[in-house]
Amino acid sequence: MKLLTKTSLNFISASVLFFLVGSMAMYFSVRNIMAEDLRNRLLQQQNEFIYTAQQNKVMDLVSELVFVQTTQNKQLYSFSDTVLITNEKYMLYRKLDFSYAQNEQDYKVSILLSQSESDKLIMKIAIMNIGFAMLFFLIMFFVNRHSIKSALGVFYSTIRKLEDFEVTQSSTLSLDTAEIEEVKKLNQVFEKMSAQIRKDFISQKEYTENVSHELQTPLAIISSKADELMQADNLSKEQMEQLALLLETTNRLSKINQALIFLTKIDNRFYTEGSTFSLNDLIKEKLSLFKDAIQDKNIKLKLDLLDITHVYMNPYLAETLIINLIKNAIFHNKSGGVLRITLSNNTLSIANSGGSLSFSEKDIFKRFTRSSENKKSLGIGLSIVQRICDLYSFNIAYSYADEHQFKINFKK
Amino acid sequence: MLKKHNILVVEDELELAKSTLAYLTENGFSPFHAKDLKSARKLLKQENFSAVLLDLGLPDGDGMALIKEIKNAKNEIGLIIVSAKDALDKKIEGLELGADDYLTKPYFFPELNARLKSVIRRLNLEVNQEIILNEITLLPEQMRTLIHGEELELTAKEFGLLLYFVSNQNRVISKTTLGEFMSSNYADYGFTDDMVYTHIKNLKKKLSGSGCDDYIKNVYGVGYKFTVA
Repeated sequence: MKLLTKTSLNFISASVLFFLVGSMAMYFSVRNIMAEDLRNRLLQQQNEFIYTAQQNKVMDLVSELVFVQTTQNKQLYSFSDTVLITNEKYMLYRKLDFSYAQNEQDYKVSILLSQSESDKLIMKIAIMNIGFAMLFFLIMFFVNRHSIKSALGVFYSTIRKLEDFEVTQSSTLSLDTAEIEEVKKLNQVFEKMSAQIRKDFISQKEYTENVSHELQTPLAIISSKADELMQADNLSKEQMEQLALLLETTNRLSKINQALIFLTKIDNRFYTEGSTFSLNDLIKEKLSLFKDAIQDKNIKLKLDLLDITHVYMNPYLAETLIINLIKNAIFHNKSGGVLRITLSNNTLSIANSGGSLSFSEKDIFKRFTRSSENKKSLGIGLSIVQRICDLYSFNIAYSYADEHQFKINFKK
Repeated sequence: MLKKHNILVVEDELELAKSTLAYLTENGFSPFHAKDLKSARKLLKQENFSAVLLDLGLPDGDGMALIKEIKNAKNEIGLIIVSAKDALDKKIEGLELGADDYLTKPYFFPELNARLKSVIRRLNLEVNQEIILNEITLLPEQMRTLIHGEELELTAKEFGLLLYFVSNQNRVISKTTLGEFMSSNYADYGFTDDMVYTHIKNLKKKLSGSGCDDYIKNVYGVGYKFTVA
């Protein structure tokens, strides 16, 4: 619920409640006043009747609204409501009954006064009341709404700007200046926070690059020295093997370092530029790089690119995604195994007939997870694949039933 | 004997520079060392270089600045960027500025050697230059191999390997180094030590089949050495 809706709703419900209670109270008090007035007028007419009756005969005083009957009851005195039908119309009257004695005879006198006048008045007052109240609410409602909106305008623009804020953008977050103290304070906090986030982001990026540089150079020195040592003439087989191992390990370390830097770069949204291209072409192009490897392992390639699928991605990331998946499927395949690549309905499936996993299925995308017998594998390729899929919100799933299958759905 | 090529090594890491210089001297180059942009500019004025190895991260600035200066002064100077940053954008930027090649640290010396020779060959219009080693004649631009004057059919990878060996004679080249060379030069991602072994086996078979001496010697199973007496 929006702040504006919330305050408006509060305002309306409070107003309606107040209006209902107020109207009821007003209605009853007006009715009371009118009834009192009617009573007084009836009593006055009674006085007039008694005064006139002193000179005249009671029965002569009968008129349209004054009824006289003989009665035995001397104590008669009461107010009541009554209905008369005049001109086929029901009319509500207030009636005063009282007894009057003349010439030793008791009479019951009834004086009637129409209530319709006062009812009409009450109605008119009620209608006016409602009308004024409505108008008042309407005006108050819009004034309230407008004032809140203008007071919170900066607040809403802050929300919009925060929504658009991307830490990778080069521009800093700049918010409008607010009149309202609270919003001003909020904006200050946000600006300070976003500046800090940007600062952290940039320093993290620099750190990543520095780590890369600082680690690669010493690795270059180690491998160059090892290579130099290998050139000595008098080395034993064991020494040579140790140097070769040193060279291989250094190379491996450098690869891990590069892969980790690459992962960090993906996380830091370094590869933001994208374009739309055919996945089919990319798969075919990258597959050709593995021709020798496929041949060498005697792998049967089953390629089914059924639908032309276009994706919007960073080309370098897309390339890495495909290469890593194919490489994984060849590397972990058995000799003479099957490599099945299917693309249909926006879903890419890459399956291989490698042996069963020596680790838990759910760890397959985790960094440095690899089977114990595969010492050459870095264990980073698949976690890079998953990270790229995450970046583009592509769904990736792994399943194993005779074949290891990776399925990516490119539809977001 | 060909004249020695002057090579300028711009590298701020002294140990690495020392190894590189030693290696280049050993391989018939005449290397000079500059530890920053300032001394590199000074040396470029004094000497006539065939190629420059340029590290990008230097204490007094980005090596990128030097690329244009070098190429504007003399286009025939081969320029190889050597950087610890394996960043695609840096690579593209450097090559667009006029660099001839890009090597990512850590690199292997035989790889550096092969690339240096290739860059110098290309820039000095030695297009049709033959590389002759006893009975072996290589025509790098046409990817042709002649043994005793007879044409020998080699695959691209076998030719690459042979050229690599000829460029790095009498050196022990480890399997790791060869594997890296193959996967980076032939964009072959599934390369394993076994495949290096297969390619070399095939190459050796073809060479001996055409009456070539057996120059490629296995060194304790950890690498190979192209031995020329």
